[in-house]
Amino acid sequence: MTEAIEVENLTKYYGDLLAVDHISFEVHQGEIFGFLGPNGAGKTTTQRMLTTLLEPTEGRILIDGYDLARDAYPVKRQMGLVPEESNVYTELTAWQNMMFTGRLYRVSRAERETRARELLETFGLWEKRDVKVEDFSKGMRRRLSIAMAIIHKPALLFLDEPATGLDAQSTRAIRDLVRRLNAEGTTIFLTTHQIEEANQLCDRVAIINHGQIAAIDRPERLKAAFRQVQSVEVALEPDGQAHGQALGALRGVTTAVKMGDKWRLYTEDPTALLPQIIDYARAHQLQVVSLTTLGPSLEDVFLQITGQKIGTVQHPTGEKKRGRRGGRGRTGGRR
Amino acid sequence: MKRHKWGQRLWDEVAQAWTVTIKDIKVYYLKPGMIMFGFLMPFFMFFSFSVKREMAVTQGVARLLALTVFFTAAAAGPFIIPIERRLGTYDRLLAAPMSLLTLLLGKAAVGALFAVAVSVVTLLIGGVAFGATIAQPGLLVAGVLLGSFAFSTLGVIFGSIPTRNPGDVQMPSTLLRWGLLFISGVFIPLNEMGTAARALAYISPLTYAQDLMNHAVLGAGALSPALDLIVLLASSVIFLIPSLLMHRRSRQLGY
Repeated sequence: MTEAIEVENLTKYYGDLLAVDHISFEVHQGEIFGFLGPNGAGKTTTQRMLTTLLEPTEGRILIDGYDLARDAYPVKRQMGLVPEESNVYTELTAWQNMMFTGRLYRVSRAERETRARELLETFGLWEKRDVKVEDFSKGMRRRLSIAMAIIHKPALLFLDEPATGLDAQSTRAIRDLVRRLNAEGTTIFLTTHQIEEANQLCDRVAIINHGQIAAIDRPERLKAAFRQVQSVEVALEPDGQAHGQALGALRGVTTAVKMGDKWRLYTEDPTALLPQIIDYARAHQLQVVSLTTLGPSLEDVFLQITGQKIGTVQHPTGEKKRGRRGGRGRTGGRR
Repeated sequence: MKRHKWGQRLWDEVAQAWTVTIKDIKVYYLKPGMIMFGFLMPFFMFFSFSVKREMAVTQGVARLLALTVFFTAAAAGPFIIPIERRLGTYDRLLAAPMSLLTLLLGKAAVGALFAVAVSVVTLLIGGVAFGATIAQPGLLVAGVLLGSFAFSTLGVIFGSIPTRNPGDVQMPSTLLRWGLLFISGVFIPLNEMGTAARALAYISPLTYAQDLMNHAVLGAGALSPALDLIVLLASSVIFLIPSLLMHRRSRQLGY
């Protein structure tokens, strides 16, 4: 079976700046493929090359077997694009936006009207169909942008950071829609820097860093390859938050990160750490509210692969120690 | 009857260009400011250069028509594409299954239609208020249509500059338009110009548009009307070339 996307040696220079560095990968038909990377890693540049918006400096892109450099027309007919910014016409109503896109993709009048109604109802925008988009919220514009991208039932949908800046309800609605589109047979190329989004949605994930593919596999297999970043999450009472520094000093703990009302203690050997935590709680007359061992998250894998270390954990003395980047309210650490 | 593959493709491209045109009319042209500009600008121009000059009504209408076509056809074209690039809506058009030429023709048609609409109003005022008559209606229609399209494609050239900032196209577009205005035979008839000035005037497509309007309204011009039509038609095609090249450059630069 032809791959949905085949990329060979794809490279993009902006002047002297190498944005994408000879990357190669395939996206299988019918899968949700996550393209994950930190800001500036080359995600959007790659996606713009895949969608014909940007000319590669080198390399070849085949979409459904068609060479994009030579035969973009049939590819464009089967492609939907949802860019990071909702590119809707704010001067038009939701319905006019849908009709415009339908006409642009040569969807017949009867079909585009039926499909537009279906999609606007699905996205909760039907009641607002005659309202100008300038009066829409960010979430509504995002939903309309996605609806416009799929009015012609594309076989391949590119989504760039679909949930960025949205509330939890809108984010969940969009993720549900992505799953549903995929279940109906649409191949999804999802560009994101949100690790949890990729973890929840994607069949396979490519991690791009400094313009190169650092890893590419199923999320669970990526996690399995990074067992050294296991952790134990513990919540203690009373005043469990005050014990971070001491917990971080337990034998085998590499880093302690405050996670809300809990502490996450990173270690290569959770089994050896558990009794130490129990002993510590007993010795200080603390109640163990919860105690959980955790495998590496996709975030851990991502940070390991991209070389982003565990952040900076402050000791009371002011001495700095490497810590997990992205953790919230980090205050404790190993002595 | 089932259309041939290429016939279908051609039909699709025409329909897509028209879709872009209608969208641009709704989004950018049917706005009070734009309509006011389209109507008032040529009149201001006309009165600015006609006050205290002895000029027949028909001569004034011919000049007004040429100015109307010239200024309204490229009034918004240079700015729409940079605005759409900034908003991200241009990506939607570039990613759609149509050729770049189709997209540019759709964009050019908007300005041309706007100029034609304003020209009709200009003619009505000329006819009703000043009693102007048209010597050759066929040439008038051809001149307005071709002139509008040629000057609209001229505006699209500036819109094709690789930028997301409309301000970047303001200066070159204004300079060129005013430059063309002053070297053309709009204010000084061709046969009253010196040799050097006339040679310069021949470079400008506005000269041919004005001459065609003179033929259409006054019944006489300095050049052959066939030559005027050919130059305006050729300008429409030639002006698309730099736009296509700049769009290719934009695709390399990431605009």
